[in-house]
Amino acid sequence: MALTTAPDPTRRGPGSVRAHPKRRGPGRIRHTEGLAGYVFLSPWLIGLMGVTAIPMLLSLYLSFTDYDVLTPFSEVRWVGLANYERMFTADPSYWHAVRVTVTFALVAVPLKLVAALGVALLLNRAWRGVGLFRGLFYLPSLLGGSVALAIVWVNMFNRDGAFNSLLSLFGITGKPWVNDPDWALETLMVLAIWQFGAPMVIFLAGLKQVPTELYEAAAVDGAGRFRQFRNVTLPMLSPVIFFNLVLETINGFQGFTAAFVLSNGTGGPVDSTLMYTLNLYITGFTELDMGYASAMAWVFLLAIAVITAIFFSTGRFWVHYSDEEDR
Amino acid sequence: MTLTPTAVALPSPRRRPGGRPLLRLLILVAIVAVVLYPLIWMVGTSVKSQEEIVNNLGLLPERFTPGNYTAGWSNFDVSFGRFFLNSAMVSLLTVVGNGLSCLLAAYAFARLRFRLRGVWFAVMIGTLLLPQHVLIVPQYILFRTLGLVGGEWPYLPLLVPQFLATEAFFVFLMVQFMRGIPRELDEAARIDGAGPYGIFRHIILPLSRPALVTTAIFSFIWTWNDFFRQLVFLSQLQDYTVPVALTLFIDSTSQSAVGPMFAMSVLSLLPVFLFFVAFQRMLVEGINTSGIKG
Amino acid sequence: MHPATPPTVDAPVGRSDRTRLPRRRLLRGLLAMTVAAPLLLGAAACGDDDGAAGPNAPVKLSIFWWGGDARAKLTEDALALYTQKHPNVTFEKTWQANQGYFDKLATLTAGGNPPDLFQIDDNYLAEYAARNTTLDLTSYQKSGKLDTFKFPESLWQYGVVDGKLAGLAAGENTQGLVYNKTLLTKNNLPEPTTGMTWEQHIAWAEEVSKKTGVPGTQDPSADYKALWVWLRQQGKDLYKGSELGFTAEDVTTWFELWKGARDRRATPTADVIHEGNSSDVTKQLVVTGKSATSWVWANQMPDLKKNTKDELGVIAYPGDPSAQWARASMYWSVFKGSKNRDVAVDVINFLNNDLAAVKLLGTDRGLPSNLDLRRVVSDDTTDPAMKQSIAVEAELTQKFGPSPQVPIKGHSKVKSELIKSAENAQYGRATPAEAATQFVEACKSAIA
Repeated sequence: MALTTAPDPTRRGPGSVRAHPKRRGPGRIRHTEGLAGYVFLSPWLIGLMGVTAIPMLLSLYLSFTDYDVLTPFSEVRWVGLANYERMFTADPSYWHAVRVTVTFALVAVPLKLVAALGVALLLNRAWRGVGLFRGLFYLPSLLGGSVALAIVWVNMFNRDGAFNSLLSLFGITGKPWVNDPDWALETLMVLAIWQFGAPMVIFLAGLKQVPTELYEAAAVDGAGRFRQFRNVTLPMLSPVIFFNLVLETINGFQGFTAAFVLSNGTGGPVDSTLMYTLNLYITGFTELDMGYASAMAWVFLLAIAVITAIFFSTGRFWVHYSDEEDR
Repeated sequence: MTLTPTAVALPSPRRRPGGRPLLRLLILVAIVAVVLYPLIWMVGTSVKSQEEIVNNLGLLPERFTPGNYTAGWSNFDVSFGRFFLNSAMVSLLTVVGNGLSCLLAAYAFARLRFRLRGVWFAVMIGTLLLPQHVLIVPQYILFRTLGLVGGEWPYLPLLVPQFLATEAFFVFLMVQFMRGIPRELDEAARIDGAGPYGIFRHIILPLSRPALVTTAIFSFIWTWNDFFRQLVFLSQLQDYTVPVALTLFIDSTSQSAVGPMFAMSVLSLLPVFLFFVAFQRMLVEGINTSGIKG
Repeated sequence: MHPATPPTVDAPVGRSDRTRLPRRRLLRGLLAMTVAAPLLLGAAACGDDDGAAGPNAPVKLSIFWWGGDARAKLTEDALALYTQKHPNVTFEKTWQANQGYFDKLATLTAGGNPPDLFQIDDNYLAEYAARNTTLDLTSYQKSGKLDTFKFPESLWQYGVVDGKLAGLAAGENTQGLVYNKTLLTKNNLPEPTTGMTWEQHIAWAEEVSKKTGVPGTQDPSADYKALWVWLRQQGKDLYKGSELGFTAEDVTTWFELWKGARDRRATPTADVIHEGNSSDVTKQLVVTGKSATSWVWANQMPDLKKNTKDELGVIAYPGDPSAQWARASMYWSVFKGSKNRDVAVDVINFLNNDLAAVKLLGTDRGLPSNLDLRRVVSDDTTDPAMKQSIAVEAELTQKFGPSPQVPIKGHSKVKSELIKSAENAQYGRATPAEAATQFVEACKSAIA
């Protein structure tokens, strides 16, 4: 699996973990720490073995079969690489979904992160009513992917929706955004960005971890607010930025809920919002072609693993961990 | 940038100079208005009659129909309050399970050295990447084989995984936060004779509050909104949770009680909103004010 | 803290404490489980007893359906009536909305845990029957345990897949063209009538658009049930055996017919048509006021009516109405491996042929399949919208032609491909001929 090559972020930097045993009798630490490591890890390991890994491996196996959900496992037919072949050679709508997904992720993920960071910075400091504002900004994300959300969104961005009323104030005639194949994906992006609550909260929590003294030290050195942001906030926040970047990228590529809700599970109009995972869901459940859907899922995993690995390898250049002694 | 535990523990005398509060407030209110408009529309729709919901796209109802709330609440044989209780129970237990199990795993990944740590970490990230729709059928089959499905207590298949740190998202989140905790604190504790358990108890646990609070918030909210898994594993009306119950209002091919559905959707936002506002308070005080016994 | 840690998992982990190198054994254990699980389930799914317990042995029958809460109440009452007559039989009832219903049904089936008795529609009947999931009811029908004597012939036949009776109609339904009566009356326009040709319908719609400003008709070119009726009127069909019952030329003609209608402004614009292409009742253009007619099922009348103040009318689709048939709105099917299959079949029989039960259920799942009881229920109906729908159905019953075969495996994909291709033409992204070719190609691979 490509993932195992992903560099472990906890293993670098001159002063990071690896250096410790050298300083302090390697044998003893290694033994107690090694044992403690597995003790602390045990719930996760049990979960991995008992809950996570088996379904994953099953789905990997199924990706080489013609599994259709209704046929018992004992009767599935091994089809070798046929599903993968079909994906790469004979399924134009698969590649269409790939294009839609990449477009969506490239636009929505950065914008969502910028919005989340911007609002988090505005709401970072304690003042009266800040909690209310945080709550209000989080509200859209509370809606998740409910039925009500679908109705709300369609009515905001329909031909006679609120957004077009707003535009008409400026003399602009809008489009039927959600129902226009050229614009439906953009509407979906707006929805994704609108629900920026999760990364915002993570940024807020991260900002809380920045020791105030660092700002004071910087202020003493004569740094203005912008330089404080650049030299203190950004580096201290970088592990959290990194986390949000990785997770929102994964989320962005998975992007199921919004697409499902807005298009009523069809990916329409004319497949313009047919995200990868929506295509996969339709293939697996509506068309009962679960073997093929599993193959899609594993190709997805590999592709995202590569992207994640790239993030991890670039992380060493810009992610600053306080548990490293970089001086 | 070297910090000592004492420096961190000091209460901060004064924060950054304050900027222009009025301007900031104005900007915030403007953004909030845009961001919240769809939600206000949703509240407006929750007091429209069925016929108006389909035909009147305006913000306010022509005829105020608060009856949607009472109708929605008692629409089913089981009162909607029951669904709220079910959801609250599942969500709270998920918070506990995720908080405990992910914290342990994250500590191991972030601070301890052990064989195959890199491999396990990569595997952990890997479990985030597979779309859940191909996992649900194998998972159902597995859980049934293990006897978790169809037992006395229907929530077992939803909750057992949560106590086993299967949500890699939270493990990774906590790892990232823990790596922001200066290692000098560990060193200091180590000199005082603390081992891995002592460091966990006295340094990491108290300093992980932002991460724990974040985990609590997300665990609660995401579980509150999770539809597919709850739909698959719950089968009796009285066991249903809020997201499953909300879909019962609308059978798109026939009956559709859109008004009551909107009313209950609005109501279902309240517990999560309150949970959020209550917990985000704890984000206000982070490392700046936490005392550390070193 | 870890409630009910899975027992099977304990084994490999327990071993790992003792060994220095746990990896290989863990992996082996894992693989063993991976292999074991399906085998266990394979066995479980086959359910190998004969399904004939003693007549009075206690039976708990699981039953699963989709629908709203009104349906739930009626069904629960009817089932309670059954329990009253057969105290040894109790029910484990599960119901939900149609969203996610088939996802869950498939997952339960895969998990070797399907309900004994379940509701299914013609989109999925062949899918399930082709995979041997449904019990063949023919022998029960022959022995009279499942009484279809009073059923319209074409109605129960519309549950036959590959010579097996895979499901029994829970109610009857047919295509219905619903129009806005109020709008027409207000503008002194004639109401459409059953038997108008497609050309006449479009001309009428054009007139409506001109006079009222509301587009006369929804463009149904993306609607499989409209295409189906039209194909049957051309002597074709949606499916013939395991093949398509039409050619790209047929679809081109169909798409061109509606391109003409769009050009004449008999229909709304493409984005509005797209809204109406949803199967959702609340999005039908006749209730949202965006067109004067919608192409729906006749029994959706009462639900449509709830969404509009205007009076609605309903007729058959244009063209020769004998192309329409007594369609099963939904079926009851029995899981093939069910231990309680005899009881399950008896329950289906009860729900269809017992006067009290049928009276309770009313027209919720469509008109009662048993014609004698249908008359009783029709007379009892008070909902005016339902009365209209019954009237149309009653009128058509005289004219109904033979039913076509149940849609085959791959039908879901065919339906969604039709929407995609038709919308490509509607949005002007493809010519009718291009869209038709694309559609037929996609269908061929879908049903292959």
